[in-house]
Amino acid sequence: MEGLSIKVKIMKQKKNELKIEIEGESHTLCNVVQKTLLEDNRVDFAGYHIPHPLTASPQLYVRTKGKSKPDTVLKAAVKQIKKDTASFRKELAIASKKIS
Amino acid sequence: MKVQILDKNDVSVRLLIEGSNAAFMNALRRIIISEVPTMAVDDVVIIENSSALQDEFLAHRIGLMPLKTDLDTYNLPENCACKSEFGCNLCRASLILDVEAENHTITTYSGDFKSENPSITPVSEKIPLAKLAPSQKIRLEAYARLGKGKEHARWQPVSMCAYKYMPIITVNTKLCDLCGDCIKMCPRNILVKKGEKLEVRNTTDCTICQDCVDACQKTPKAIEVKWDENTFIFRLESTGALTPKRIVSEALNILDEKLTDLQSQLKGK
Ligand code: SF4
Ligand code: SF4
Ligand SMILES: [Zn+2]
Repeated sequence: MEGLSIKVKIMKQKKNELKIEIEGESHTLCNVVQKTLLEDNRVDFAGYHIPHPLTASPQLYVRTKGKSKPDTVLKAAVKQIKKDTASFRKELAIASKKIS
Repeated sequence: MKVQILDKNDVSVRLLIEGSNAAFMNALRRIIISEVPTMAVDDVVIIENSSALQDEFLAHRIGLMPLKTDLDTYNLPENCACKSEFGCNLCRASLILDVEAENHTITTYSGDFKSENPSITPVSEKIPLAKLAPSQKIRLEAYARLGKGKEHARWQPVSMCAYKYMPIITVNTKLCDLCGDCIKMCPRNILVKKGEKLEVRNTTDCTICQDCVDACQKTPKAIEVKWDENTFIFRLESTGALTPKRIVSEALNILDEKLTDLQSQLKGK
């Protein structure tokens, strides 16, 4: 239904660190990504902040442990949330069939 | 993740969701409130208005009138192929109001609108718009389009959307002497005395206010209210623009789109 609604800009990329700016997003996406990152034991630290509530885009930061690459864990987190939406959709379909 | 429908009717639904987390629930809630599109009037051409209400006031009331929404036919204006600022019949629907009070004072209602597309009509026919004294008239054309709640509240598909943790209420039968203090205190009537036992019923209605725990005079407390951080009761009430089920599934689609966008842009870097 929509084109690209968000725009990702790399702000900092090191061996164990990644900071991106997600233009067009807010707490909606960042909070769930942060939470999912923190559940991954390869992640040392994950967080985000919105420099200004009206004019700024959120910045997501992730730091990994050891040899794990930050972009790999971020991609894994996104994949995990996609799995959750898929299973939610499936479960909802089953549940509504049961009730109607 | 496990999803169960606790109860539902035409406009509201209550889901029990197991094996999720607050961040995910909150993403859904935020998307439902601010990003699931619905139809609402955002442009009104007033041809004649001799009612007591000013044009702006009347237009505002019309804007807040929920409309039945057809997401499969209509496009968001910013995504419509027409690229026109006036819109085309795939991104805009017009409704006409033409009323006149003849000899008596009348009230004009949302049901007086005539829609060019019969599937885009007010959700209720009984929303009062203005009162007209004898010989007063309103003639106007209203243009409805899809929009999102983050632009203006009139495009919000829900009047309420919230979630809470699943309450866990435990009564220690050894300590409880059935004094009944907690029963009186509970605002949701969750606790009842049944025979020689304090019974907990309709646990999902509990607001986790802890009033029952505070009311219990025993030390240690004979009743305990905790919650499960991975189980949620998710409730929403539609304005009638979309069915509750459609609202949830649209929200899931939008979240999925966001993730796909993020995924594709991470790949290229
Ligand atoms: S926590 Fe509040 S709502 Fe829940 S059982 Fe106790 S008094 Fe009732
Ligand atoms: S207030 Fe305490 S002792 Fe009294 S009925 Fe409730 S749980 Fe039992
Ligand atoms: Zn168009």
